[in-house]
Amino acid sequence: MRRFAYFAPERVEDAVALLADHGGRAKVIAGGTDLVVQMKDGARRPEAVVNISRLADLRTFEERSDGLHIGAIVTMGTIEHDPLIRTKYPILADSAKLVGSLQIRNLATIAGNSCNASPGADTPPALIALRATVRMFGPAGSRTVPIEELFVGPGQTSLQPGEIVVEFIIPLPQSGQGSYYLRHTPRKELDIAVVGAGASVWLRGETIVDARIALAAVFPTPLRATSAEEALRGKTISAGVIEAAAEAAAGQARPISDVRSSAEFRHHLVGVLTRRAIEGAIGRARGAGPTVGH
Amino acid sequence: MLKEHIEAVPVTVRLVVNGDLVEVTTLPNRTLLEIVREDLALTGSKEGCGTGDCGACTMIVDDKPVTSCLVLAPSADGKTVRTVEGVAKDGQLHPVQQAIVECGGTQCGFCTPGFVMSAVYLLENNNNPTEHEIRVGISGNLCRCTGYMKIVDAVALAAKRMRGD
Amino acid sequence: MTELQVVGKSLPRLEGPDKVTGRTVYAADIHLPGMLHAKILRSPYAHAKIANIDTSRAKALPGVRAVTTAADLPAGDRDQAIRSHVVLAEGEVFFHGQPVAAVAADRVDIAEAALDLITVEYEPLPAVLDVETAIDPSSPLTRLPLGDVERVEEGGHVTVEVENFDDVGPKRSANVTNRLHFMRGDIKAGFRDADFVVEGRFDAGMVHQAYLEPQVCVADYDPTGRLTVWAPTQGQFFQRSEIARILGLPVSKVRYVSTEVGGGFGAKVAPLVQPLVGVLSMKTKRPVKLVLTRREDLTVAVPAPSAVVWCKFGATKDGRLTTIEARVIFDAGAFPSGPVVGAAMMLPASYTFQNLDIEGLEVITNKVSCGAYRAPGVPEVIFAIEQLVDQICRESGFDQIAFRRDNAVREGDLMPNGRPWPRIGLVECLDALERSELWQTRGSSNGANPRGVGVAIGGWLGGMQPASSLVRLNDNGTFSVIVGSNDISGSNTSFAMIAAEVLGVPLSMVEALTADTDSAPWAGMAAGSKTTYSGGKSVQGAAEDAKRQIVAIAARELDTNPEDIVLEGGVAKVLGTDKAIPFSRIASLSTGFGGRYGPVLGRGGNDVIRNQAPGFTAQAVEVEVDSATGQITVTRVAAAQDVGKAINWMSVMGQLEGGVVQGLGMGLTEEMLYDDQGRLRNPTFLDYRLLTSLDVPNIEGILVEVPSPEGPFGARIVGEPSIIAGSAALANAVHEATGIRMHRVPLTPDRIVEALAARTALSTVVLSHG
Repeated sequence: MRRFAYFAPERVEDAVALLADHGGRAKVIAGGTDLVVQMKDGARRPEAVVNISRLADLRTFEERSDGLHIGAIVTMGTIEHDPLIRTKYPILADSAKLVGSLQIRNLATIAGNSCNASPGADTPPALIALRATVRMFGPAGSRTVPIEELFVGPGQTSLQPGEIVVEFIIPLPQSGQGSYYLRHTPRKELDIAVVGAGASVWLRGETIVDARIALAAVFPTPLRATSAEEALRGKTISAGVIEAAAEAAAGQARPISDVRSSAEFRHHLVGVLTRRAIEGAIGRARGAGPTVGH
Repeated sequence: MLKEHIEAVPVTVRLVVNGDLVEVTTLPNRTLLEIVREDLALTGSKEGCGTGDCGACTMIVDDKPVTSCLVLAPSADGKTVRTVEGVAKDGQLHPVQQAIVECGGTQCGFCTPGFVMSAVYLLENNNNPTEHEIRVGISGNLCRCTGYMKIVDAVALAAKRMRGD
Repeated sequence: MTELQVVGKSLPRLEGPDKVTGRTVYAADIHLPGMLHAKILRSPYAHAKIANIDTSRAKALPGVRAVTTAADLPAGDRDQAIRSHVVLAEGEVFFHGQPVAAVAADRVDIAEAALDLITVEYEPLPAVLDVETAIDPSSPLTRLPLGDVERVEEGGHVTVEVENFDDVGPKRSANVTNRLHFMRGDIKAGFRDADFVVEGRFDAGMVHQAYLEPQVCVADYDPTGRLTVWAPTQGQFFQRSEIARILGLPVSKVRYVSTEVGGGFGAKVAPLVQPLVGVLSMKTKRPVKLVLTRREDLTVAVPAPSAVVWCKFGATKDGRLTTIEARVIFDAGAFPSGPVVGAAMMLPASYTFQNLDIEGLEVITNKVSCGAYRAPGVPEVIFAIEQLVDQICRESGFDQIAFRRDNAVREGDLMPNGRPWPRIGLVECLDALERSELWQTRGSSNGANPRGVGVAIGGWLGGMQPASSLVRLNDNGTFSVIVGSNDISGSNTSFAMIAAEVLGVPLSMVEALTADTDSAPWAGMAAGSKTTYSGGKSVQGAAEDAKRQIVAIAARELDTNPEDIVLEGGVAKVLGTDKAIPFSRIASLSTGFGGRYGPVLGRGGNDVIRNQAPGFTAQAVEVEVDSATGQITVTRVAAAQDVGKAINWMSVMGQLEGGVVQGLGMGLTEEMLYDDQGRLRNPTFLDYRLLTSLDVPNIEGILVEVPSPEGPFGARIVGEPSIIAGSAALANAVHEATGIRMHRVPLTPDRIVEALAARTALSTVVLSHG
């Protein structure tokens, strides 16, 4: 690993000031599970590393009247095992428990999984399906945007120089809502999504009042499959409707070929996994869906 | 590049390793695994991949198993760390260690310290795991020699003994 | 024969406690005073001329102690056809990642930074990246023609007498560096008379041994001109002589200390980084350590070659396999290293073909060259032949096990090279598989997640190489077994068990250790599955020699004839009396002050093994296929292997289980993927996927014991056969579940989905009724 200056501020303001001082040549580290790998193989060579793990405000999570607030440095392991999240926001636990390995999940943070901006990351589609927003803090103060707007391209976010993610806010679940995330990987653990699919549905009886579909690894960013949502909205649940939504999602996907898959196979998987995600979400909305695994 | 190369500033890291308070002064561009192996000469934890994908470097940090090859050394400041060297007590193998020996759960042995740490953590949190729970508990550790079966058997045997069955 | 007291039991490894506590020393754990750290600058091209190298800026970096290129290498006897001899590229690079220059510095990060300061001017050349292009006479050359190639390492893995070699055949490119041809009978007549003919082409991907311990070396060149090397190896004496030759040192000036081997599987036989680390130590006069990163190890170590196998069978309607024609082509990478001999031998070897024509080719390309990987080349050819056997059974209604048994080779049948098979246990393995729980309760099902069971068989000849051993009576009456072979499989524990058995003592009274090349009795490579088979024979001899010496002393002390002495529980007794003398007393009489006898030191190794003891396996795999995603879940595996005699049941079963899972990995997820510039695209354990604990089921392992005539207590080779059958059995199971026939391994989900969509199951498997 090349050399760098290291800082571990105690206050958010100090972290932001340090990042601003180094003007884009500094990297934020929390869990380090992506950044340390990138620094080891030389893909990133920051002149300074700012560790935000000591910012206590970023480590809390709690449900408030406007939703679940999850601090930026809450780990995947915490999310995966938390009883509140597993029962009320199970899609988030679905996605968190798939990241890396058990050991990696004890390091990796929810903000890191988003800010690394890998199109294949698992928690962003879950956050999108939950209509989450993200609050950022920087030299110009605080701002909150829908989570989709954080992602710009592979490895690129809309964070401004000096800005860090502070927390994610997920609206409280409504009755008739169900959400589910799954992915395809060649192995059952220690892997990365070939394609991932997350779905939320809001049901009234057998009618799909609304839906949110989000996909991993089929677009330069996590992809909100609005055409699939459209195909579900207002429809009565049926195999045909679900299939139509799955096909719409596949139509919106623009996967690439890389070492993990051909574009063609990803395209095929989008349909399969979107269908299964919707079925899982409907099952949960009805109160008898898949449980969070492991 | 040369400027940065020469001017990097060392940091002092204080941490508790296997119950001992230790202090290491290091450049920041090293990992917890490296300072434990090189500066503290506790070489039991292994580097199999350096990217968190094999689990041979597993240590229990603040009560959670982590891949120590991904932890920057200065990030470990203030942490409590358990390594494979701290598992046996008073010269007695931990039940997990004893069972791995008895069941043939170690062959080349390079992955073994990581498996020991994952299994110790598992059994400290679940003293009666199912076979599937054992397999999940060691799923972040790769073994190339055994095919996992004898490791799974060993963890089950250790659990049984720890329960006193 | 009296009942065995120690041999055949299931005992924990002697070094187990050190391994579970982290006390075992691997090479990367070694720290010497003044030690420097090395890094290697590697070629970014698969094929290029090196016009110029400028190291001056790197040398000027504070903390850098040496920068070396090929121009600085000491004079040595280096053969450009052998990978380990080309320490640094000399004027031309032949594969991506080939070492071009190396740095030794005070710290790893300084060495890394220095690499950036070395400037190399390359002139790219056309890269030859696949065998079918390479083989054509019009292909560019991977490198200049090499002439006769020394194949010492291959001999360590498999010892084959080849007589019917011929050198005719179509004109081929000089990229073809080895050709082997086995012929028997008349294949034209055989196919003419056959009722069924099936044929197919099968492709096997390049895989990596993926031992958990990356390749590593510490070397220290001392002021007296001696080079000490600490590194894991499967063949320390081979390494010593190679390193001496490469670096121009007398063999006596090289001491090789093999540290614990953190997995080898064939890849830690020949020197890889050792000569280069030696050069850096010679230049700096300081100890130097080099640990490859996993990325480097996956990219530039010595993986297993990809293979193209074409195969055609003829069978009669009464169920006899009569005729086979096959060709196997290995992509050896940039140095001759294809396992042609073993693969061509074992491709048809399980069956009694009257007519055969097998051609094996080794082709060099601009990729990393290969090494051995557990039964080198055999899983690749078994993937082909066992799918065709499966096809004949399915098309003709023959039982998968009975058909194989009816056609299986037995003692006295001829091997492809015309020699008779010694005693083997293939039929017994099939019998055992037939009785397995998996086979007895098998079933298949259709639907969205169809299930199926597949069978495959295969074998490995193994190697032969002399070994010697010492058994020493210690001054407290315990024994030390001292060997020169490197323990990669629990062999030292097995050696201690053999000695304990012979000497009539409990295992707790025997230790076994591998000494370094200065002090150990000579032994061959720990390769070719032969360590316990041949090394164990020498330990048995050494223990018997020590026993004779003990008996002689006891007879003198107890005033009786040696024939009346029996050894039991660490005591020498006079048969039928209560007169006895403990070994501890014999030890003090032969080691203490004023001792009346010379120390007891048994020597073994005169009784050299002269015949192979091949190992066969029969395996069944049960799968469930998610037909939408192509995901295969292996639900059950049964694996029977003839091990002759399991010296240590636990070690042997551990080898079996581990090999089976490696075979499943080859079948399911493992493949090295290259881009069109010859660069490895998946050089991490994230994307080169070893199976995890959640991907494999428990294995129903069955040890079959058909004793070998020469091995200690009937033991035969063990380590390699278990890997052979997994990918073929998987493919056959997938066929039973889905009806598709897989022509390329690994059976990745995308390939399954593609095959399901095309339903081209039989497109290249032609079944005719002649």
